[in-house]
Amino acid sequence: MIFFLLLLPPLVASLLALLVRPHREFVGWVSALLSLISLGAAITIAAQTIAGDVPIWGLTINSLGLEGVLRADSLSALVLVCITAVAALTLFLSSGVGRTTHYDAKQLRRYQIFINLFIAAMLLAVSANNVGVMWIAIEATTIFSAFLIPLTIRKTSIEASWKYLLLSSVGIGLAFAGTVLAYFDFVARSGRVENALNWTTLMATAPLLHPEVIRLAFVFLLIGFGTKAGIAPMHTWKPDAYGESPAPLGALMSSALFAVAIYAIARWKAVTDAVLGSSYSNNLLLTLGMLSLIIAAFSVVRAKNYKRMLAYSSVEHTGLICLGLALGPLGAFAALLHLVNHTAAKSLMFFLVGNIERAYRSPLIERVHGLLKVLPQTGGLFAAGLLALIGLPPFGLFISEFALFRAGFALNQPVLMGITLVLMSIVFISFIVHLNKMLYGAPPEGVITGKADRLWNVAPLYISIGVLVVLGLTLPAPLATLLKQSVEIIAK
Amino acid sequence: MNDALFSQLSTLGSSVILLYGFTLLWRKSLHAYTVAFQWQSIALTFLFLIIGYFGHDVELYYVAGFLFVLKVLILPRYLGKLEQRFPGERESRPYVNVATSLVVAGLLVLLAYAITRPLVLVSDLPTRGGLPLAVGLIFVGLFVIITRKKALTQIVGFLVMENGIALLAALGTYGIPLIIELGVFLDVLMGFLVMQVFVYHIHDTFESIDVDQLNELRH
Repeated sequence: MIFFLLLLPPLVASLLALLVRPHREFVGWVSALLSLISLGAAITIAAQTIAGDVPIWGLTINSLGLEGVLRADSLSALVLVCITAVAALTLFLSSGVGRTTHYDAKQLRRYQIFINLFIAAMLLAVSANNVGVMWIAIEATTIFSAFLIPLTIRKTSIEASWKYLLLSSVGIGLAFAGTVLAYFDFVARSGRVENALNWTTLMATAPLLHPEVIRLAFVFLLIGFGTKAGIAPMHTWKPDAYGESPAPLGALMSSALFAVAIYAIARWKAVTDAVLGSSYSNNLLLTLGMLSLIIAAFSVVRAKNYKRMLAYSSVEHTGLICLGLALGPLGAFAALLHLVNHTAAKSLMFFLVGNIERAYRSPLIERVHGLLKVLPQTGGLFAAGLLALIGLPPFGLFISEFALFRAGFALNQPVLMGITLVLMSIVFISFIVHLNKMLYGAPPEGVITGKADRLWNVAPLYISIGVLVVLGLTLPAPLATLLKQSVEIIAK
Repeated sequence: MNDALFSQLSTLGSSVILLYGFTLLWRKSLHAYTVAFQWQSIALTFLFLIIGYFGHDVELYYVAGFLFVLKVLILPRYLGKLEQRFPGERESRPYVNVATSLVVAGLLVLLAYAITRPLVLVSDLPTRGGLPLAVGLIFVGLFVIITRKKALTQIVGFLVMENGIALLAALGTYGIPLIIELGVFLDVLMGFLVMQVFVYHIHDTFESIDVDQLNELRH
């Protein structure tokens, strides 16, 4: 029942957008209000898992091998809350919802149909019990989002979407090959059992599986879902796609979709570790995580476009989360907390960047000066968000990065942590430099100053900043429980 | 006796399917790619039927039916339309020339043999001999996507890679659960439709379907 309240609202919203041709603003409002139901359902699921329950829904159809189709444990609940929260924020801040729009009715209709389908697919991916269903849903996110990047057709947006579509499809294809290999091993060991692809069954049988086969399967899975998460060297689509997406889609992709991909990796890592012990997957994740950090650090320095700069920051945080996942239970705790913080911070930033781009009509850092004069509220929030992203207190990312370093030192990895610190400082310095250029100075000609940004364009974003500050000052007890339970699922 | 025949047939079938994948490397006209993909899918359908028959699995007959409709009837039709729309387009200058491509593809198949050794060792299915060929086909598909310049060739490379994965699933497990298989078909169809829409977009905005022109985005 609770799963209906979770999954149906975005589907209904999408259907409504498809059927109702006029009244775009009305449809936008309805989608936004419906998203609150999903958010409520996700929070309810989280509360249930904290109380020790694991909600399961599903008919048992033996001929199709269906049993317990949807299932949410603490880890799913955590990611579900992240997704639904960003989705609600996105739909309230969408074009045409209580604000003027620069899209025509046709573009807006397409946007409303596919953004809701995109959200529904992400929710399904995280609440599916079956790894095959999860895979199908994640592949579907690629397709739906590819419709949204080129909302306005121009050379750069077509290029970005083509690269994104091709790379993601190939990556996700490899992830499927990995899933098949894992299933192959299961069949070789226990014969053809229905439900073999359910998480619960997989985890229960994992100790019996063949190490050599799972080793191969995990490489495919890590490359596959890693492409989706934007782990280096499969990150190349990220700056292009984030740079060309409409702001709401950029926000959803950089925070929610990213969380889904990390979720898939964490789940498969748990299965792999149950077969091989954790050192194999840890080493792979450490290597790719460090590579992500290195590439991100040097790309941020050279960034000329502020949207692409945020994309490289995303690659940096991907690296940090990979490191965390590889550093035992303490590290996993830090990684998941970081995932939550990153979700709040990155979604915030992409909306602000949308406001900035509208005012300055350029995505280039060198064209943006005097942000505090042109858009005082957006400018202030942008500065705060950027400082949060580079890990300054009193924001949540400071705490999770601190926890990450603590985990690293606890595992006697001072060299690794030292290099990480150096790379993070490089990002830190170049972010401050870029921020300075953007905030101060004389606004370029043609940009209207003194016209305060409309409250409705920024008001919901104060919630994000609020969340970041709260998480920076304290760790609320329910969240702590949820995180601890999730860590027990993915790291032993 | 039956097992020996089954084993030989499945390895033979996998080899034929892999060879159609190799066609993409030395042919240059887009039409040849469509035909190669179509024949590869026909061979794959037959292999599914053979595995279904010898493995006593009725589900595989359904899967073969869907596969035939999707990959032999529907997708080649769309590919044919694309080709007619862009008649002059040929894969005349790939990033890697034909001779090198063939050598690399051969090496990729060897690599596939190396990494799938554990699979062949743990499996006791008569079909296990084809597993390296399936992984080899996945690699060849990837190689085509990376080294070819036309958007259309990349799409065919993607479809060939998908065929490789389907082959792997059929040989290794006699097919994944039906419900998942159907979901995968749906995703392949949707993904293909989106990609072909983009080929038109690329052609309209760049006036050709060469993807090496897609280089406006830097830093």
